[in-house]
Amino acid sequence: MCVAVVPYGVGMFASIASTALVGVDTRPVQVEVHAGQSRRASFSIVGLPDTAVREARERVLSALASSRFHVPAGRITVNLSPADLPKAGSAYDLPIALGTLVATGQVKPEATRVVALGELALNGDVRSVRGGLGAALVARGMARPCILAPDAAGEARRVPDSDVRGAANLVEAVGVALGRSPGTAVEPKPAPLVDRIPDLADVRGQLVARRALEVAAAGGHHLLMSGPPGAGKTMLAATLPSLLPPLTEEEALEVSLVWGAAGLARAGSLTPPFRSPHHTATVAAMVGGGSGMPGPGEVSTAHRGVLFLDELGEVPGRLLDALRQPIEDGHVTIARRGHTVRFPSAFQLVAATNPCPCGFENDRLVGCRCTETAKERYRSRFSGPFLDRFDMRVRVERLDLEAMTGPPGETSIEVKRRVLAARARQEERGTLNRLLQRRHLDEQTYTAGATRLLASAVDRFQLTARGWDRVRRVARTVSDLAGCDEVDESAVAEALGYRKSL
Amino acid sequence: MTAPDRLRLASLGLHPDRVRTLLVEWGNARAVLRAVERGQIEVSQAIRDRLDHDPADAARRAGADIVYREDLPDALAGLPDAPDLLYVRGVLSDRPGVAIVGSRRATSYGLRLARSFGRAVAGAGWPVISGLARGIDGAAHIGCLDGGGVGLAVLGCGVDVAYPREHRDLAARLLDGGGGVVSEYAPGARPEPWRFPPRNRIISGLASVVVVVEATVKGGALITAARALEQGRYVLAVPGDVDRETSRGCNLLIRDGAHPVLDVDDLLTSLTFALGLPPNRPPSANGDDPILRLLRGGGITLEALAVALGCSAPETIRRVSLLEAAGSVRKEGGVVSAR
Repeated sequence: MCVAVVPYGVGMFASIASTALVGVDTRPVQVEVHAGQSRRASFSIVGLPDTAVREARERVLSALASSRFHVPAGRITVNLSPADLPKAGSAYDLPIALGTLVATGQVKPEATRVVALGELALNGDVRSVRGGLGAALVARGMARPCILAPDAAGEARRVPDSDVRGAANLVEAVGVALGRSPGTAVEPKPAPLVDRIPDLADVRGQLVARRALEVAAAGGHHLLMSGPPGAGKTMLAATLPSLLPPLTEEEALEVSLVWGAAGLARAGSLTPPFRSPHHTATVAAMVGGGSGMPGPGEVSTAHRGVLFLDELGEVPGRLLDALRQPIEDGHVTIARRGHTVRFPSAFQLVAATNPCPCGFENDRLVGCRCTETAKERYRSRFSGPFLDRFDMRVRVERLDLEAMTGPPGETSIEVKRRVLAARARQEERGTLNRLLQRRHLDEQTYTAGATRLLASAVDRFQLTARGWDRVRRVARTVSDLAGCDEVDESAVAEALGYRKSL
Repeated sequence: MTAPDRLRLASLGLHPDRVRTLLVEWGNARAVLRAVERGQIEVSQAIRDRLDHDPADAARRAGADIVYREDLPDALAGLPDAPDLLYVRGVLSDRPGVAIVGSRRATSYGLRLARSFGRAVAGAGWPVISGLARGIDGAAHIGCLDGGGVGLAVLGCGVDVAYPREHRDLAARLLDGGGGVVSEYAPGARPEPWRFPPRNRIISGLASVVVVVEATVKGGALITAARALEQGRYVLAVPGDVDRETSRGCNLLIRDGAHPVLDVDDLLTSLTFALGLPPNRPPSANGDDPILRLLRGGGITLEALAVALGCSAPETIRRVSLLEAAGSVRKEGGVVSAR
């Protein structure tokens, strides 16, 4: 029996776990490295790699050399498995390098019992990539340590019960993989538990709009604000996160995963996200997609938070159409050849619009100069089915001097207290009021007065079946704010007031 | 051919002015028709083709009655350029009516006023006459229906032609409400531009008073006003911003002596001078509710209402909704106003 001892073995093999982002899901990927003998040095990567993955070869070879390892002289084959999962980016540099070191006999096979994810700089430094949080989740599932770049490791440590270790460079990564080095993790900047967001106390006057925001926050209702330019619609919308219940740790992690997939950092803030994409955004930017592996769009980064659409009248129709599925289903499905990804998109929609092209319809001081035809054309831009999504519509007025210099109103905290109480009642029933379907609405108890008013409203306001549901949904929330189990006449009356504003 | 000659002549689709000249020239409808058949009067092939149609049958299919000049309301029949006959769907009232006319391309100011005028006139019991066009005409008709009144639409096309399309329902509602849709053009006649100016003489001819709500200097509403003046009708006009295109026509009329309309009450007062006491007594206003009292000065936003009442926002919204459901106020574009 004779074993040929050559610098890097004959047909030696190593396999290291890594991860791939599919939508916001993280899937395990095996990085298999085979070192074979050949007179000519070669290094090839197979298994549906994109360009950035294919270029790993240059980065890995340089990093190996910079870190004073042997650069393999034989034939190196790297296979990313499963092959049908598209792999993108530079995240596999680190596992490929570790696998190469093991396969060429430079490092002991024990070093493969990790999950590794990171880009290598040409000098051997490890750089962070997207998907660190997800990698930590996968590693926890496999009961293995997870090696990431130091800053990514700092963030991924938020995953409970995980063993995340940071490595500043390839040499340290080898030490960590072999259990010889504790690694270096850089704690992320401590996330403010609550972001600095506008407070309702900063809003002067606006009694009606403030109340509408409170009701919308309490029931999670989609809200449409209309009013002249400068009335403060954007400011009002921006205060909404300050009225919403904070995210739970679990929800915050979920939001971070989505943000991570979008390449955005969000530490561990418990404030619901607030996103306000511009109306010129592309469909891909809005609902997700893009070339290669689809990424999440604004509707998903607004998941569990607020999506604010300013200038609704300027938003192109195709964008509004694209928004309908995420609003309706609470998630976005993007199909690509061979795989389908799904992004969550359970957000609360707030939109603002001028009431007419010039913006001053029914303004107290400035006269509107639009003809009815022009206004009709303006309104027809947002389709009926889209407007149907808004349970609440409210008119926002420009302030007069008196209101501007008047005393500040209630603070967000005071309003939030009532919102939380109303949300607690909804949790007992099991459903957020925004999601109440006709069947649920029929099950609610209505006082005789409420029933009578609802019936006369159908006649008087020519309510459609959907309009009738909207009024009942909002009335349910108004009752929850008042702490009532029954929906009474006054709740229906208030809900009727949020029926129309255009 | 069983249809009377006058109906056959009317159904040919000649310009009303030409029909009138031909009748003077040839004496009567039969002579004109014979001359057309013999080629002594030059007409287009399309019109010649219509010689063979059965006009009575077309009218029946359109659900229209034929009212000849001698059976038309005297005010119209007495005009030198009165139509020889009208196709009538529904009822052609012979009570003195009020025409409310104006620009197709109206502003919300004009539409709001036209609607409230229509409602007030209907509420007082006078028929409201207009042209079923987009803009002011439509708003006046809708207001008339709001007030439960009798409306009359004079069309520039056949009575069975839905034009403008979006007012098809409106025409049906006018008929349901006991009103009428009339035209001097045969059923099936397309709304060609040349048909509208002659139509306007019928609107003013059927009315005792013509109210011009919004009009550009070149619009059809001023033609109606001019015909009304020739016919000796009262012409009222609603003043507006002097630099607003859609009010220039009205302001011009006022400069030339038309009586300005200052508000709904002022309109009713002016109408009483022209038409005598209204057939219906005006409904007494409910003055108990402080919101209704505040609304007497005109429309007001919810926000301002809450401040003026010193009420919380939810309380204000509730009270307005209840009044709205009771039909005493309405809310449009965030502005609450009394109905």
